[in-house]
Amino acid sequence: MPGLPTQDGSATKVRIAPDVLWRAWDDEIVCYSNTTGDTHHFADLAAWLFRLLSTEAANEPEIEATALQRIELPTTVDGPAAIRRTLDMFQRLSLLEAA
Amino acid sequence: MNTLALRLGPFTATLETPFGALVDGLRQLYPRAVFADHASYADFHVALMPGEGARRFVGRQARFLLDGESLFKPLPQSQALPMFEWGLNYAIAGQAHQYLVVHAAAIERNGRVVILPGAPGAGKSTLAAALTRSGWRLLSDELALIRPGDGKVVPLARPINLKNQSIGIMRGFAPDAVFSAEIADTVKGTVALMRAPEDSMARVSEAAPVGWIVFPRWQKGTMAQLTPWSKAAGVMELAHNAMNYSLHGADGFRLLADIMDRSGCYRFTYDRLDDAIAAFAALASTH
Repeated sequence: MPGLPTQDGSATKVRIAPDVLWRAWDDEIVCYSNTTGDTHHFADLAAWLFRLLSTEAANEPEIEATALQRIELPTTVDGPAAIRRTLDMFQRLSLLEAA
Repeated sequence: MNTLALRLGPFTATLETPFGALVDGLRQLYPRAVFADHASYADFHVALMPGEGARRFVGRQARFLLDGESLFKPLPQSQALPMFEWGLNYAIAGQAHQYLVVHAAAIERNGRVVILPGAPGAGKSTLAAALTRSGWRLLSDELALIRPGDGKVVPLARPINLKNQSIGIMRGFAPDAVFSAEIADTVKGTVALMRAPEDSMARVSEAAPVGWIVFPRWQKGTMAQLTPWSKAAGVMELAHNAMNYSLHGADGFRLLADIMDRSGCYRFTYDRLDDAIAAFAALASTH
C-alpha cells in the first residue's frame, strides 16, 4: 500500500486510526476523521473492511483470507483487487495507521 | 429613524431603519417578538438603510448592515422585509455557533421534532407551513438550531418564507393566516412571509428532542409516501445541510450520529398537502 512502511518486505498490518470516530447503521458506516475533518459514508465491501480493521489489525493477505471466509462478493468482482482499491482509498482518506 | 428590538427565540436583534413600511411589516409578522425600541444587549445589530453614494440615484435602494458592515448588494426598498429575513438568516448561520445550525425546517408534535432538510424547491417551507396549520408547532422554517448539550432543537418561530406558487397555495389552505404583502422580482421570484402560528410564538422557549429526520420532495402527481431511508445516508445529508458542521468537528459528528441513533429517517414525496398532513399525523402517532 502506498504511504505505509513495510517490515522485512512483508505486508504491513494496518487498522483504522484511533482518531477516527464512526457509527454503523445496518450494513453501512459513517466515519469522521479528526485528522482531516472529513466525514465519509461506506457501504458494501468498504463498510465490511472498515468494520474489520476497526476491531483488528491485518495485512492484505490476511484481509483477503478473511474476506474469502466471511463475505460473498459477486462473481464479477475481482476480490483481491477490490480490497486493494478499498485499502488505498482508506489510506488516501487518512483513515489507516500501521499497527 | 426607527429603532426596535426583536426577541427571536434565544437571540435578540436590534434594528435601525428609516423604512416605516419595514417596521410595520415586522410588527405584523412578529407581534410577540417586537418588545422594545431598544435593547441593552443584542446578539445582532442590524440596520437597513437607504442606498448611498451613486447608488442613491439607482432607484430607491436598501442596504443591509450587520454590526455596521454592509454585507450584500443593495436591493430595491420594496424588498426590505425579505432582505431583513435573509440577512438575519445569514447572521444566525454565521455567528450562532453555540448551536449546530442545519438548513432545515423543524416542527414538533407530541413532544418530538421532525427535522425537514431540503434543497430549494423541495417544498419544505410549503410543507412546514401546512403542517403548522394542522397541529404541528413551528420551531423554524429555514434554520434548525440543534443544541449540542442535549440534542434538542431550539425554536425560532420566525415567519415562514413562501415563494411563487406556494403563496397562492397557502393563502387557499390557510385563509385566516397572516401574510405579508407579496414582493415581486426578488432573486427568489415573488415572495411572501406567513406569520408563525400563535401557539408556536407563545412556546418559543420550549426546546424539544428530535424524533424523525424527513427529507421531503414535492413531486406532482405522486401519492404522499414516507419511505424509510438509510440512516448513514441521512447523517451525510444532515452534515451537508449543517452550515457550521466543520466548525463543530468531532462533536458535530457525535451530535448528528446520536440524533440519528434515536430518530426515524425517511424520504417523503408528496403532491397534495392534505395527503401530506395525513401521512405526518400517522408518523406522529408512532413511537
